[in-house]
Amino acid sequence: MLLRALVTVAFMFLLLPAPAWAQGSASLEQLQLSRGEDGLRLAYGVKLELPRAAEDALHKGVPLYFAAEARVARKRWYWRDATLGRAERQWRLSYQALTRQYRLSTGGLHQSYEGLNEALTAVRRASAWAIELREEPDPGAAYVLSFSLRLDTRQLPAPLQIGLGAEAEWGVRSERPVHPAELGLAS
Amino acid sequence: MSEGARGSRLGRWAWTLSLLTVAAASGVLAYLLSIGATTPSGFIERHQAWLYWLNLGVGALLGLVALGAALRLAWRVRRGRFGGHLLGRLALVFAAVAVGPGLLIYAVSYSFVNRSIESLFDVRLASALEAGLDLGRATLDAQVEDLSQLARQGARRLAEPGGAAATLALARLREQWDAQRVALLNARGEVLDEATPPEASLARQRLPASLLRQAAERGLVARLEGLEDEAAALRGEALIRVLVRMPVTLNLLDADRYLLVERQPPKAVIRNALAVQEANVEYQRRGLEREGLRKMYLGTLTLVLVLAVFVAMLLAIQLGNHLAKPLLLLADGMRQVAAGDLGRKPVLGSGDELSGLTRAFAEMTDQLGAARFEAERSVRALEAARGELQTILDNLTAGVIVFDRQHRVLRANPGAAAILEHELPEHEPLPADLQALDEQLWPRFAGLADEDEDFWQATLELRLRAAALPITLLLRGAQLPQGDWLLVFDDISEVVSAQRSAAWGEVARRVAHEIKNPLTPIQLSAERLQHKLEAKLAEESDRAMLVRAVTTIVNQVQAMKQLVNEFRDYARMPAAQLAPLDLNGLIREVMGLYPDAVETGRLVAELENGLPALLGDATQLRQVIHNLVQNALDAVSERPDGRVVVNTKQLRHDDGSVRALRLSLSDNGPGFAEQVLTRAFEPYVTTKSKGTGLGLAVVKKIADEHGARIRLSNLASASNDPGGPPQGAVVSLTFANLAGGSAAS
Repeated sequence: MLLRALVTVAFMFLLLPAPAWAQGSASLEQLQLSRGEDGLRLAYGVKLELPRAAEDALHKGVPLYFAAEARVARKRWYWRDATLGRAERQWRLSYQALTRQYRLSTGGLHQSYEGLNEALTAVRRASAWAIELREEPDPGAAYVLSFSLRLDTRQLPAPLQIGLGAEAEWGVRSERPVHPAELGLAS
Repeated sequence: MSEGARGSRLGRWAWTLSLLTVAAASGVLAYLLSIGATTPSGFIERHQAWLYWLNLGVGALLGLVALGAALRLAWRVRRGRFGGHLLGRLALVFAAVAVGPGLLIYAVSYSFVNRSIESLFDVRLASALEAGLDLGRATLDAQVEDLSQLARQGARRLAEPGGAAATLALARLREQWDAQRVALLNARGEVLDEATPPEASLARQRLPASLLRQAAERGLVARLEGLEDEAAALRGEALIRVLVRMPVTLNLLDADRYLLVERQPPKAVIRNALAVQEANVEYQRRGLEREGLRKMYLGTLTLVLVLAVFVAMLLAIQLGNHLAKPLLLLADGMRQVAAGDLGRKPVLGSGDELSGLTRAFAEMTDQLGAARFEAERSVRALEAARGELQTILDNLTAGVIVFDRQHRVLRANPGAAAILEHELPEHEPLPADLQALDEQLWPRFAGLADEDEDFWQATLELRLRAAALPITLLLRGAQLPQGDWLLVFDDISEVVSAQRSAAWGEVARRVAHEIKNPLTPIQLSAERLQHKLEAKLAEESDRAMLVRAVTTIVNQVQAMKQLVNEFRDYARMPAAQLAPLDLNGLIREVMGLYPDAVETGRLVAELENGLPALLGDATQLRQVIHNLVQNALDAVSERPDGRVVVNTKQLRHDDGSVRALRLSLSDNGPGFAEQVLTRAFEPYVTTKSKGTGLGLAVVKKIADEHGARIRLSNLASASNDPGGPPQGAVVSLTFANLAGGSAAS
């Protein structure tokens, strides 16, 4: 009995980084930056399939949180990169068993969807996400754009996080240099 | 030993470090366990995996340490190393005491936690809740369906031509349906006409475009809204909203129109449905969390067990070490003492009975060591005293021999062997050559006991070798306390010789005095006889006989006079008048008396220049040199290649100052006969056919007056054969009595 328990526990932890959460697929399809009147506009498209376990949890009433972050930074060799502009967005996706509706909230805005796919569509793409500029872009400097869209596992109920690990967040992460034209600078 | 000490220090460090680590890890885990799944942020849960691995690593490390310690212990037991068995048994006992209850508690806790978590979720309850939710959903759906039907009918009725005025009809419908709002909309969602309760707020939100679109497509859309926010829903903000496309009429004004009906579902239904939904969500979530909780609790429990077991083992080994250490120390000390090492023994400072024991043991060995040291010291002192005594005995010129009752030599000092000229081996009787001595001893020693005297004394003339003159021994015997016999003896030949010289001087003086007086009258009378009778004798032969007889008488009287004078001179030598004089000058003066010998090279002087002046009587020293030169020349007179060398030399101290002057005469004559050598300075000892034998006696006397040392020796034979004839003789005089300044040569 004791031996069995020990073996069980050992295996339990050997298989720890729950693979169910990593099964979903996520890939970046589009990431464009353009200069708007009062800042930058970001358009992105992500191919997103929820992991099986996440969908299961969602249908059992656990709300899922998605977080997107975009940051344009000026390269500095001598220090950390300086942030030119930065924007964050968070979604909360929940399922209402009574009405069989999916509800997506961002900021103070709520929207209900009949299907999961429709609800996720709102998360998957954006055409003009405004990024406020902190300073005027410098033509001589090099800029990078980093973008991430992920399932924020930190917002899950605590016991579900056991064994997920800090790095077990599911989503896309990308970083690429910014062309000066994208910042509205004459090339 | 130092390496071992270093090793044990390292080991102690390792123990301390690992124990600290374990304590820290156990603390972290205990913390995790206690707050476990209750942290709202989930921080610990997220990091639990690597914390777990970290702790597992620490556990493995501890396990290795414990294993290493156990193996070392086993090795020591196997090798029969001292104390290994005791340590091993103690460690086993402690480990059993610590690990057994731990395992029991673990087993019980494991099943308890497993069952508790299992009981958190019940499948039947879950399905019942699911069913309740379905019921609620069905109820709400029925409400929606009901309103949809009503709305469809209402739309038809409104669309009937000749229907009542729109606004009125809407108000009637609203009251009939108990709806919140009934409105007529156009295709763009703008309100054409509506009926609301009087207390309703004017603010109303625009209809979502999707609703209109769906209504356009399907003709009817019914939806229950406002349930997301439970509080709001319970306040009455939950709404069933139905949008129906109005049937197309002929007197259509423009495009499609829609009838919108909004009604609050019954509050009780809403409340119950929401409660069921909430419970269901909670319960489902609990089911989801079950696995995580089980992992965490059981994993932590197991980890704590593993750590506890290792800590217990380490502690067991450490405790065993701690308990066994004084005993091992004592036993080791005992072995050292048994082996004779009484050095300082280590003492434990823990202050309990065992350390008291080690302290007492250390004190005991200290005292033992002190006693032994004292004994050794007295033995050393004794040996030193004996050595000193031995040194004195060894350097004593007198002979000392201890005999046992069986007449065997127990001990003899080097002086005895030197005097007797024989080796005196211990535990053996005296050599056969010393028979004469041997015979003399025993009756006297035996007489000691008979006559109850302390010692006896006797002189003995002993001839050591056939050819040599006998030596005179002064013997003195005594009985030692333990019954052995002690013989002390000294060679008093020289003393006897000196006494003999003194006696001779006295005799010579008296004889000379008595004989000298009649000699002159005898000579004068004989001369007168010749003078008076020579002319009266007619016979030539008679005359010749007279002359011959008188001449004989005169000559013999002259010779006798000379003899007597010499005796007188020897006996009545005046005291030396010491004054600084130049030795080399004196020698040259004397050599002037032997011009023939110097010219023929039989007499050679080898004088060192710059001799300091010595204090001496010139007349006496001149006689000394004269006697010695004459003796030497006499010795070589027989040899055609005879040669006499007169040599002077300075003897110096170590610091270079002049210590003494040495005058030596060497010849290549036959040398001294052996029996002469020891008694050469006694008067009337001579090897010459004519001579009084006083020459060397006078030299000795003068040398004594001047405080000079005189030595006679034979030159070794050319063939280095000690038994062969000597190759000449050397006489040397050493004058230590120097004048202050250096005399010019």
